[in-house]
Formats: sequence, structure tokens, C-alpha cells
Amino acid sequence: MAGRRSRLELVFDILAAIQNKGGKIKPTHLMYKSNLSHKLLSSYMEELLEKEMIIVEEVKTKKSSSKVVHITEKGLGFLAEFRKMREFTDAFGL
Amino acid sequence: MFNLFATPDWFNHLDIIFTAVTLLISLLISAYGWKIYKLSSDRRFAYFSFSFLLVSLAFLFKLITLGNVYFAPVREITGEILRPITKSGGETYRNLFYRVGFFLQMASLLGSWLLIYLVSQKSRSRLKKYHELTQIGLFVYLVLLIAIVSTFVVPVFFVTSLVLLSLIVLNYYRNYLNTGKDNAWLVMVAFFLILLGHLAFIFIQYWEVLYFAGMSLMSLGFLLILIVYRMVTRA
Repeated sequence: MAGRRSRLELVFDILAAIQNKGGKIKPTHLMYKSNLSHKLLSSYMEELLEKEMIIVEEVKTKKSSSKVVHITEKGLGFLAEFRKMREFTDAFGL
Repeated sequence: MFNLFATPDWFNHLDIIFTAVTLLISLLISAYGWKIYKLSSDRRFAYFSFSFLLVSLAFLFKLITLGNVYFAPVREITGEILRPITKSGGETYRNLFYRVGFFLQMASLLGSWLLIYLVSQKSRSRLKKYHELTQIGLFVYLVLLIAIVSTFVVPVFFVTSLVLLSLIVLNYYRNYLNTGKDNAWLVMVAFFLILLGHLAFIFIQYWEVLYFAGMSLMSLGFLLILIVYRMVTRA
């Protein structure tokens, strides 16, 4: 069984889940895809919003309104950098 | 002049280039390890970065001692600096400088191999922080002891290096089996080449050309590490 995910791995999983869904995802789906509780996901999303790695769009329909989370260029850059780092740490057995 | 072991004349000066290249590669790996540490705040990346910084230091000490052997102006400068300590002047300061330089080189390199061995172990094999620190303390003592002994009996250093590098290669072989990645295989091969280089160094006293073989194998190992770094970090 895999160990606990580090903070950085959690951020990666959240951003990767958005990327895998074509760059935008509903918060509920994101919660399931990243395997996080609502509370934890909210705190991470706040941090990612602050760091401008994601943006949240309010989508309004006639009956209701919902939110959609988008990944930004900065978020995509982080994903690319993290993948390199993981390749490096795997290669050196870290 | 005092010399710990003989090297082929035709290779003198050229080993400076080999050493400088290895130093730069180690610095590059150390910097990338530090970058990962700053991003993740995970201590093992700081240890990894420090281990390659120690490799760079070892080769820096080697460069300085080689410069002292090969170039007269360097010898004169170090002579002037060390004159108050050695008093007698002449050859004495050069011998002292060479011994100290070689000792620092050995202590740094042995320390770096030990640290690489420690960080290349899987986390479940690692000890808790308190034990980790006491273990490192014991290792530092042993490294210094071996380095002191090695300034009088040089093969002790190369044999100790060989043992540590064998353990590192085994760790990286296990890492390759776990990940199945080509880069993990290349890192294992790189350390195996460095190991072969040290195997060659053990017998320098009997056959001078083995110094060239050892330096070449070690440089090839570090070049392979550079290739892995480039493959991983390329856009």
C-alpha cells in the first residue's frame, strides 16, 4: 500500500485531475478525482487560487448557478516541473 | 617532491580537465537537488544536495592540490601562505599542503558516498530523525578516521570508497527493479563506472596507467549522471 501523500503530491494530484479533464472540472468531481475530503480540498484550493495556479468560474444557468475550476498556465507549468522532479527523484531512488 | 602515488607523466595536467568536468557536473546535480528541497521541504533532498556538494568540494580540493603539483606560480603562492607554519620552508610546506589537500579530498568524498548511500535507501529502511543524526555522527567519525589513516596508507581510502560504492550500486539496482525506469538503470551504471574507477585506483602503485583508467571511468560515470539530468530536465 502506498504511504501518505506529501503536500506537494496532493497539489500535483489536484492540478493533474483538472488537466486530465481538459483543463476544467466541477469542484465535486475534483473532490472525487483527487481523493480528498471537502474540507481539505477547500483549503488546498484557496492556496492554489492565491498562487494563481487555478481560477474558479461561476457558471450561471436559468435555474441555478455552479462553479467550474480552471487550471492556469502557471498551474500547467507547475505540473511540468513536478513531473521532471519526479523523474529525477525516481532515477536517483529518492 | 612528496607524492602519495605515481601517475603517468603524459596524463599529468590532463587530469585537471577530467576533475574540473566532474566538479561542474556534481555542482549541477547538487543545485537541482537543492531546488527540489526548496519546493518540497523534504530533508532527504537537502541531504542529497549536500552529498553532491561534498563531491564537488572533494574535486575542488583535488584541483587545488593538483595545481600545487603542476604549476610553479601556485606553488609559490601556497608556499608564501604556509611559510609561517612550516618555518623551514622548502619542500616541507608543499608536503604539508599536499597531505592536507588529499586528506580533505578523501574526507569529502567518503562523506558524500556515505550520504548518497543513506539517501538512496528506501524510506522504510531509514531511521527516525534522532537515530539518523547519531548514525551520521558515527559515520563522520569513521570517515575522518579512515581519511587520516589513508593519508599514510592510500589504498585504505580507495578500498573504503569501493565498499561504499558497492552498497550504493546495490541500492540503485534495487531502485531500478522497483521503478523499472531507464533513467534508474543509467544511474546504477553511472555509479558502477565510478566504482570500477576506484577499483583501478587501488592498484595505481603497481601500474601507473591505471590512474588514467580510473579517471576515465569515473568521468564517464559522472557524464552519464549528466546525461540522466539532461534527459529528465529537458523541456
